[in-house]
Amino acid sequence: MDFVILSLILLAIGIYGLLTKRHLLKVFVSVELIATAATLNFVMLTPALSKGLGEAFLILAFATDTCVSAVILGLLVVVQRKYGTSDIGELVKSEQSKEQEEAEA
Amino acid sequence: MIFEVLSVGLVISACLAIFLDEAVYSVAALANTFVFIALLYVFADALFVAIFQFAVGAGTLAILFLSGEMLSEKPAKKPQRKNLFTIIAAGAILSLPTIFFSISGSTSAVSSVSFEEALWNLRAVDVVLQGLVMMAVALGIAIVLHERRKGAR
Repeated sequence: MDFVILSLILLAIGIYGLLTKRHLLKVFVSVELIATAATLNFVMLTPALSKGLGEAFLILAFATDTCVSAVILGLLVVVQRKYGTSDIGELVKSEQSKEQEEAEA
Repeated sequence: MIFEVLSVGLVISACLAIFLDEAVYSVAALANTFVFIALLYVFADALFVAIFQFAVGAGTLAILFLSGEMLSEKPAKKPQRKNLFTIIAAGAILSLPTIFFSISGSTSAVSSVSFEEALWNLRAVDVVLQGLVMMAVALGIAIVLHERRKGAR
């Protein structure tokens, strides 16, 4: 069961990326890595229950994951077009400055 | 031996996906990660999942490459070789626990449901998931249309 350690390492890399990276695409890549780690555990541990059931669940999970990825990436492109940046810090700053301008007006 | 080689490659490419500066290179490293994961599934005797991982990975990565190209702000520049070697070394060190440590446990099957049978039994879940996806897409379209109307005013 070495794959449990492998999936833990992948999870750790994903969480590190999620916490430290500021580019929206990098954050998304980190989330993908975390999802991959979870899937890896699922695939390798399902023989303990029932192999067919686990694989069927996973295929449904893959389909949903891809659709969700497409929607998230679409939203990222919309955010980039609207604010002109994909840096989380800059996005927060621009929102704060907008709120300040509205409060002053 | 195959597991060790694949796990080292997997961890190194995951590190590259996170730590490379350029978004497009990062996505290329993620593609590598997906390939290694699919190969691991093949060797774990989960062929259906491996094929799906290949197909889904290809689809996701096509969209990721496109959006990576659209979202990257800086002009394309090659990553520094020194930085690249540091990341690869860090990945190789991180993958050492998978080679030297192992968790023991039994994985004998409790019930033997075949893949086709399980897919048929789970058809209700499939319908619910499709409904959720459709709802998410409808919500996304509604938000985009609302924003456009707001912008037109």
